[in-house]
Amino acid sequence: MTDGLLVLQVAADTTGAYRDFPVIGSRAAIWIAAEIHLMFAAFVLGVPIFAVVAEAIGIFGKDQRYDRLAKEFTRLLLIAYSATAIWGAVLVFLLSTLYSKFWAYLTAIFGASMWAYVALFFVESFTLYLYYYGWDRWKYGRSKLVHLGLGILLNIWGTTVMFIADSWLTYMMTPPRDITPQTAPTSIKLWHAILNHTWMPINIHRLIGNVVFGGAIVGAYASYRFLAARTDEERAHYDWMGYVGNFIAISALIVLPFAGYWLGREIYQYDQSMGITMMGGFMSWLWVIQAFLIAVLFLAGNYYLWVGMGRIPGAERFRPYTKWLLVVLVLGALVWGTPHTMIADSRELAAMGGSHHPLLGALGVMSAKNTAVNLMILSTFLSFLLYRRANIRQVVPWARAGTLIQAGMFILAAGIVLFFGIRGYFVEAIVRIGYSVYQVGAVLACIIFVTIIDVLMARGAQSLGAIQWGKMPPRSQYALFILAVTFTWLMGLMGFARSGIRQHWHVWQIMQDTTPYAATPALGYAAIMISTCVLIFLSLVGFIFWLGGLAEKSTFVPAVSPVEAPHVGD
Amino acid sequence: MWATNLRIIGIVLGVLALYTLIANKIPQVQSEVPHALTLGANVTPEQLVTAGDQLFHGAGGCIACHGLGTRAPNLLTDEKGQGPIGARCGKREAGKDCKAYLYESLTNPRAYVVSGYEPIMPEMGRTLSPQQLWALVAFLESQGGTVDVSGSDIPPTAGPGAAAAPSGGGPGKIANGSTDAMTIIRGAGCLGCHKIANEGGAIAPNLTNVGSRLSQALIRESILKPDAKIAKGFEKFAGVMPKTFGDQLTGAQLEALVQFLSSHK
Repeated sequence: MTDGLLVLQVAADTTGAYRDFPVIGSRAAIWIAAEIHLMFAAFVLGVPIFAVVAEAIGIFGKDQRYDRLAKEFTRLLLIAYSATAIWGAVLVFLLSTLYSKFWAYLTAIFGASMWAYVALFFVESFTLYLYYYGWDRWKYGRSKLVHLGLGILLNIWGTTVMFIADSWLTYMMTPPRDITPQTAPTSIKLWHAILNHTWMPINIHRLIGNVVFGGAIVGAYASYRFLAARTDEERAHYDWMGYVGNFIAISALIVLPFAGYWLGREIYQYDQSMGITMMGGFMSWLWVIQAFLIAVLFLAGNYYLWVGMGRIPGAERFRPYTKWLLVVLVLGALVWGTPHTMIADSRELAAMGGSHHPLLGALGVMSAKNTAVNLMILSTFLSFLLYRRANIRQVVPWARAGTLIQAGMFILAAGIVLFFGIRGYFVEAIVRIGYSVYQVGAVLACIIFVTIIDVLMARGAQSLGAIQWGKMPPRSQYALFILAVTFTWLMGLMGFARSGIRQHWHVWQIMQDTTPYAATPALGYAAIMISTCVLIFLSLVGFIFWLGGLAEKSTFVPAVSPVEAPHVGD
Repeated sequence: MWATNLRIIGIVLGVLALYTLIANKIPQVQSEVPHALTLGANVTPEQLVTAGDQLFHGAGGCIACHGLGTRAPNLLTDEKGQGPIGARCGKREAGKDCKAYLYESLTNPRAYVVSGYEPIMPEMGRTLSPQQLWALVAFLESQGGTVDVSGSDIPPTAGPGAAAAPSGGGPGKIANGSTDAMTIIRGAGCLGCHKIANEGGAIAPNLTNVGSRLSQALIRESILKPDAKIAKGFEKFAGVMPKTFGDQLTGAQLEALVQFLSSHK
């Protein structure tokens, strides 16, 4: 760091570099605007993925319910887009007025991409209007496929918009190493700045995260409508919708940790000290909170499935297994939440008996945590599998052998996970890190092959009775609310982690934050901010849902023949 | 319906309150901004130690690794029977006193990587000013040793990155301006990461036959702009090699080094 930094700092410290926001301060104002904009953005990016997949299932599976489900959600998008744009504008105005020097720096580098962003947002909005308002006009034959194409196009625009915005924030985190404080921003090539270390990992992580988020919000919407339903038909429809939302959210959640692992690895490779700040520095406690939240997600998601098995004839065969699944999930959550390398003062170290707890310290290392989370994922997948098979009896001649092979795959995957988990204690860190790939590979292979076998085995299966959609106790719907709130809160928390590891830098080691708010706050303050943002967001989403209900009557479909009611994935 | 709505609101608020409460109950650690120090020529050792103590336990971020005994050596407590850092720093490198060793460990941490630990420490000169660096040196010396940092060590005014070596900064201060290539290589700490013949580390490309792989121009570029081209297989260490050799080496030293390395075929 050199004279260039000093020049920038002097410039930043001059009058006009920063302004303060009344009462809550400029950092809190930016925090709220950015967070709520991001939550709406995740909603309007995640739900179209959800909608277009549902529409495709409707078309190719010839099931109208999925088509109506897709349309119901696209209607909500119209209002949500406005909210996203409004909060985006608020964020830009706040940035340009409160952090004008920093904003000037960013625009000097990314100006051209900002224009492209606006243009694409414009195109995306009009594609959405065509998609929604053309729904009934392009309903049959080839025109329906064209309509589906519009939905895909909508997702392409949305994803591109997100990728552009991601380049700005990832540049702030991991600017290319050849850029120094004295590098004139106008001399930085746009594509060079975009292609920074964390750009693509963040893109992928957010893409998957948006699907999770979209599914969770869909689930919450469905549960609200379920609880408010006046007829059995309506209740059955929203019960089914809640199941679909939960299925998508949990399915995507299972993949999300792998994307997060890639992002974390890139951060470490870019700057070890940044990685250490994130995982073991002042943010170390954040991961204990994250483990708690993910435990809530796993438990609530599984609980919803287990309660849901009460409305499936034949599911009672599998009920005895749920307590063992619960044991694995709880034990896994406890291991994952075990602190290890935490910042502690000498008094705390003395109380603990060393830098690590003598007994629990062994459970806090990555070997144990990776093992725990992979077993939790396997358990959740098993819950889904039992749910899928609850009301059928396979009739293919190899059904017994197939089930045994499936069981063998579960045992093999769990064995591989445990083997590398234990072996990880006896090898060097660089070797141990590689083991997580084997663990993840075993779990993914198990999920893929067991699913394929299950689909093949279900051919011509004998039904043991219809799924009684709508016959769900209200407590199951509250579990969906808890899922949605937890997902949203977790998104806020991880956003704080990503942004907070820059510490007192606007742009890591290039442009320093010299405001009175430059210190990165502790988790307690961050939690209050996150909860405030989540509350504002959910209130606005609730308002949007209410508006959606005013605009059009519910599109729930008449009851289909219960026996034909398929599971997602059939 | 009102009862259902109230129940939903209650659940949402309850969940938010629970998460907020838990996050407020755990230890609250804030990442502080390193405060600029204005230490004059008359600064006392006690003032330096106090400032260093605050940095070490606060904005310097040192305790994230040092003190845990896993990521980096313990500095304030005994390390493998050698005592705290102030007691052992003078014995770490032959011909280097405690002050010089600690200062170089802060500004060029890969020069001396303690056996059994990874080279993960960032160059503190990038984020801390010389005043702050010297305050840290004084604090570390005070841990079992004698503080010999004084105001004369600290340059009058400078920001982060303007770090001066113990006896002053600028070109020629590596290996006291020697143009003997191996002296420069040892003095600059290259062997902390690179290997030449049978000497040195293995986390950066082996330089034993570097002349057969790289032209003189590329060797020169790699010294002055280490991240311009990253050797295959070492991508994960991009950013590790200091970019300060252009300021620290004299022209004669740089050319001696280039000639020496290019002759190793």
